[in-house]
Amino acid sequence: MSESKQPSRDSQRAKLVGARLKRVEDRRLLTGRGSFTDDYRPPGLLHVAFLRAPYAHARIVQIDTKQARAVAGVVAVVTGDELERSVRPMRAVSTTPGYRVTDWPVLAVTKVRYVGEAVAAVVAQTRYVAEDAAELIAIDYEPLGVVFDVEEAAAPESPLVHEAVDSNVLLAREFSHGSAILGLSHKEAVDHNPSRSAGTDATETLTLRDRFRFRRHAAVCIEPRSYIAEFNPAEDSLTLHSTTQCPGVVRTAVAELLGMAEHRVRVISIDVGGGFGAKSSVYPEEVTVCALARMLGRPVKWTGDRREDLMATSQAWDEVIDAELTVKRDGAIVELKAEVLADVGAYSVYPWTAGIEPVQTVSFLPGPYHMPNYWARARAVATCKAPTGPYRGVGRPISTFVMEGLIERAARRLVIDPIEIRLRNYIGIDEFPYKAPTGIVWDLADFAGSLLKVRDLLDYAMWRERQAQARQQGRLIGIGFASLVELTGIGSATSAAPGMPLPAGTEAATVRVDPSGTVTAIFGVAAHGQGLETTLGQIVAEELGVPLEDVRVLWGDTDVAPYGTGSYASRGAVMGGGAAIMASRAVAEKVRRIAAHLLETASPTSIATEPRTVIGDRTEPRVRLKEIAKAAYAGLKRLPKGMEPGLQATCFYDPYYGTASYATHGTVVEIDPDTFRITVLRYVVADDCGRMINPLIVDGQVCGGVAQGLGGALLEEVVYDPSGQLITGSLMDYLVATASDIPRIEVGHLDIPSPTSLGGFRGVGESGTIGAPAAVANAINDALSPLGIELGELPITPLRIFEHLVARNRDGGTQRKSSSG
Amino acid sequence: MAEHRKIQLKVNGELREGWTEPRRLLVDFIRDDLALNGTHVGCEHGICGACTVLFNGEAVRSCLMLAVQANGAELLTVEGLAHEGKLHPLQQAFWEHHALQCGFCTPGMLIVALDLLRTTPSPNEEEIRHALSAVLCRCTGYQSIVEAVDAAASRLRPSR
Amino acid sequence: MKPSPFDYHDPTTIDEALELLRRYGPEAKILAGGQSLIALMNFRLSAPAALIDLNRVAELSYLRQENGTLRFGSMLRQRTIEFSPVVLQRLPLLAEATRLVGHLPTRTRGTIGGSLAHADPAAEYPTVITALDGELVLRGSLGDRVVGAHDFFQGVMSTALGPDEILVEVRLAEAPPNSGCAFEEFSRRHGDFAIVAVAAMVVVDGARYRVARLAAAGVGPTPMRLRAAEEILEREGLSERAINDAATSAAEIVEPAGDLHASADFRRHLTRVLTRRALARATDRARGK
Repeated sequence: MSESKQPSRDSQRAKLVGARLKRVEDRRLLTGRGSFTDDYRPPGLLHVAFLRAPYAHARIVQIDTKQARAVAGVVAVVTGDELERSVRPMRAVSTTPGYRVTDWPVLAVTKVRYVGEAVAAVVAQTRYVAEDAAELIAIDYEPLGVVFDVEEAAAPESPLVHEAVDSNVLLAREFSHGSAILGLSHKEAVDHNPSRSAGTDATETLTLRDRFRFRRHAAVCIEPRSYIAEFNPAEDSLTLHSTTQCPGVVRTAVAELLGMAEHRVRVISIDVGGGFGAKSSVYPEEVTVCALARMLGRPVKWTGDRREDLMATSQAWDEVIDAELTVKRDGAIVELKAEVLADVGAYSVYPWTAGIEPVQTVSFLPGPYHMPNYWARARAVATCKAPTGPYRGVGRPISTFVMEGLIERAARRLVIDPIEIRLRNYIGIDEFPYKAPTGIVWDLADFAGSLLKVRDLLDYAMWRERQAQARQQGRLIGIGFASLVELTGIGSATSAAPGMPLPAGTEAATVRVDPSGTVTAIFGVAAHGQGLETTLGQIVAEELGVPLEDVRVLWGDTDVAPYGTGSYASRGAVMGGGAAIMASRAVAEKVRRIAAHLLETASPTSIATEPRTVIGDRTEPRVRLKEIAKAAYAGLKRLPKGMEPGLQATCFYDPYYGTASYATHGTVVEIDPDTFRITVLRYVVADDCGRMINPLIVDGQVCGGVAQGLGGALLEEVVYDPSGQLITGSLMDYLVATASDIPRIEVGHLDIPSPTSLGGFRGVGESGTIGAPAAVANAINDALSPLGIELGELPITPLRIFEHLVARNRDGGTQRKSSSG
Repeated sequence: MAEHRKIQLKVNGELREGWTEPRRLLVDFIRDDLALNGTHVGCEHGICGACTVLFNGEAVRSCLMLAVQANGAELLTVEGLAHEGKLHPLQQAFWEHHALQCGFCTPGMLIVALDLLRTTPSPNEEEIRHALSAVLCRCTGYQSIVEAVDAAASRLRPSR
Repeated sequence: MKPSPFDYHDPTTIDEALELLRRYGPEAKILAGGQSLIALMNFRLSAPAALIDLNRVAELSYLRQENGTLRFGSMLRQRTIEFSPVVLQRLPLLAEATRLVGHLPTRTRGTIGGSLAHADPAAEYPTVITALDGELVLRGSLGDRVVGAHDFFQGVMSTALGPDEILVEVRLAEAPPNSGCAFEEFSRRHGDFAIVAVAAMVVVDGARYRVARLAAAGVGPTPMRLRAAEEILEREGLSERAINDAATSAAEIVEPAGDLHASADFRRHLTRVLTRRALARATDRARGK
């Protein structure tokens, strides 16, 4: 349980929390001495290559592995029917009413449901030989009709991706608040002319309807997934080196699926080359590699190549949203309604479920605004594409894109400044804690402050002037904003995923002082680039009054760490930080009492800023932490009577609700009037991640997230053809932003400590991807407004702008091309 | 075709040798045979740049070279940048400017930056960004890397 | 993504290479810079039985100036071309285009001959060679033959190279006095293949275009010479109108296909825009001299 909400401040203690410190992990990463999974090469290692389905939907009639098994250097060729004798299928469950449970066999058995699904595993001396042999496996398939289009797949008469359930709608969730009538009024996109003034409409309110389309994305971590399993038959124990963000989750899952005792499974994940949520799920390859190691009694490795990564690592953000926003003439929101269809691919990702993204979209859609009436329905629909899963921001980039897109459309129609319309609708700083229409409780936020800070950082007035001048010269400059709010560091009161029975609401830390006085801090959260080794070390070092280099932070080894689920949902700082504070304070308290005893004083003394010392109350002598530690372990009369020896503490932190993280993004773009190339001229963010542990790292998280969001909005799209073949099968076609594509990003901070999280921290990891697509889309539409077109589909590309203009010219300049065409 | 060839090369100033199938990619040889894990495999088709090394003083994508092509060559990998425990100015600048997060692309970024600064000692921001476009980073958003390269450029330039 | 097995040969002379090519026939592929071929082989989209690696054939790597012509050995690195003062001075169109070919690490290994033999219609080098009426020297069992750019590029990734032939040299005329050139490219990101690119070289004489050369990438199965547009310029002379007319004509001549990155209509549109821009810049440079 949490203790005092306010961080206590000993004025003499060194201020490490809040300091812009260089990272501890960098030395090994800069010199090529990181511990990435593929770096591990135990003796006798064998390599796996998977044969993957070439069809998006097909029955497996027959598999002939004879030729493959005969290749020199091949040790085994394993198929699904062999594996299912010893491995359970993955089954993501949820308590959400109506959730349809489906199984995901780790190697396909009766049929395949997406191109790239693993069908057979070849184990050989080298990866080269394994791939040679995989080419020799002969599989007879009976192709089935491909369930492709998400709207068709949601219809009751659609062919089924999973025959075990009666519908492709794996999960549906509805929210309603106020007096909103359930369901949308109209389904078609309504003709609207951005230049029509508000005065022509006689009614008191204006209703805007639009269809928003967020196309499929892939995380593209530069490090592909990699798994190495070793099984010791003498102990019935399994060790898995994995690129996972969630060692604790994987351990529990692997034990269950392989029928092993949980304490005999060890998962190790030290340095991970990016995760972004895509490495937070348990994957079939991960489980298969473990099963193969157990089967063969030899260490087994699979490292995904980029082709496989693009085909079979979880994808995201593939949603169609029909939305209606009703506002008064002065811009005040009256009602928001939305129908969300999410194309979640062929399987329900484990353990988050297929519902994780669409439910978040509708949970967060109201954003930072007063919303008297709200109705939304989200449906997660299965299709024959790669399964989707969590990806930086999950549903929030989409919800922000829709809400912020609607509010700026309203501003254009009503001829109200986009800053003004937001200020009129924001939840005010004096209204917190505030319960949102979907039940989420925001603890504290200054939405208006974040927008005004962006306005000033951007020099908004100057850009409006420049825009007016540019328009006279035929140039297209646009300004766009996006305000976002999200729940981070989610505690046990809210589920991180809909009805998912996983203890995601807590994290733990063990802080241990060794007999020589050095400190070890061990966590259940894991690192994949966000600098937890440094930030958590800063917290522990400050609480104990020692220099940062005296603290060694460990994570990612389930044999060593207290139980934790890992790093996802922007929880590392809040949850890991909170646990660090609790455990450090418990140790610090004991240190003070031992010191008092050694110094023969009556009251516990304070820990000083001087390294490694504890100062007596204004008197000599001093006692070093090293001596306290010795006393703690040596015992005898060096400890107060009745005190347990040792100097360590393990604490579990549960923030219960979670904290609001919020930001406003502002951007200026220019669109080339001939080629329609989009250039971002200026990008600013005003972010509140509460009390910052390390501003250098916070800025890095925001900039990195913005870059991922910008690239996502302007360049990235996973494309399948109607037969379910992946068209974007390489990095030549799936375009990740380079250094030439991302502008300078200026970040300002609000730093309002969270009143609910121990330490006052708020999460920051996802803020960038949540705001950037919405902001840049708004800026582009602002730039294009003189041309009478408006885009509601991402990515926005020069080609799409061109096609909208062609359609506008063809249709006589009054109708916007429907974005579903 | 199990034909193996012997290759001899200099890596980070040290003479190394090995036996390899001709089809073996140079990046795999560096990692597995030379046990130099700093060079990373990210795409195997020449886009992500995580595999970049210096080949006879010039940056190359080692996933698009065969190990046998390196016979007689001199390679510099990220492990060869620091000298007697002291970080190269580029590494130092990356550290100071928080130019890495997960660290997976970092070896590629360092080698590409090194090649840039040797050919263009005073690059402007556009030149730095164009050069760094050879390596993909998913974590940083590039700006801190640009700043680090610019800072290192000042340090490496002979002072006037 | 590991390549299939192959026989590997790294000859040190052209004759050795030719002998190997004779022996293996269509079963062998020439390995030049490897920036395209090894990527294809890693995907197993290409699985030749044998690779003939030309990287140790020193006699294929040279740059010579002779009577107003620059002669490039086919294995000369794009990186060498990029940093060559001779190329910058005498063939600025090639220098400008080189900076757009991939990234520096690509150009460290990539070769002029490799790029031309690969014949990707969206690549920069084939377009420059086409615009400048370059000549390619092919050597086979029957000796050398010289093929003009127009005859060399025959289709998508398809050239006049016979199964027993190696491209040994590329010849380009130096830029004449009073000439100006420009290479305009539209790609999704810096360093990517062109969606559409236009190479322009003009020679100006008072108010006339004495010579106008235009070629486009990404608009057909091979790089396309835009002769009708060239004729408009040579006929109408220096004017804004002539440039616009030439650009419009260019957009009409090209036969682009649509793909993931751009529709045929968009490529046509870009052809017009980039032709106009390339001509404007080339003309300004010609007059600036």
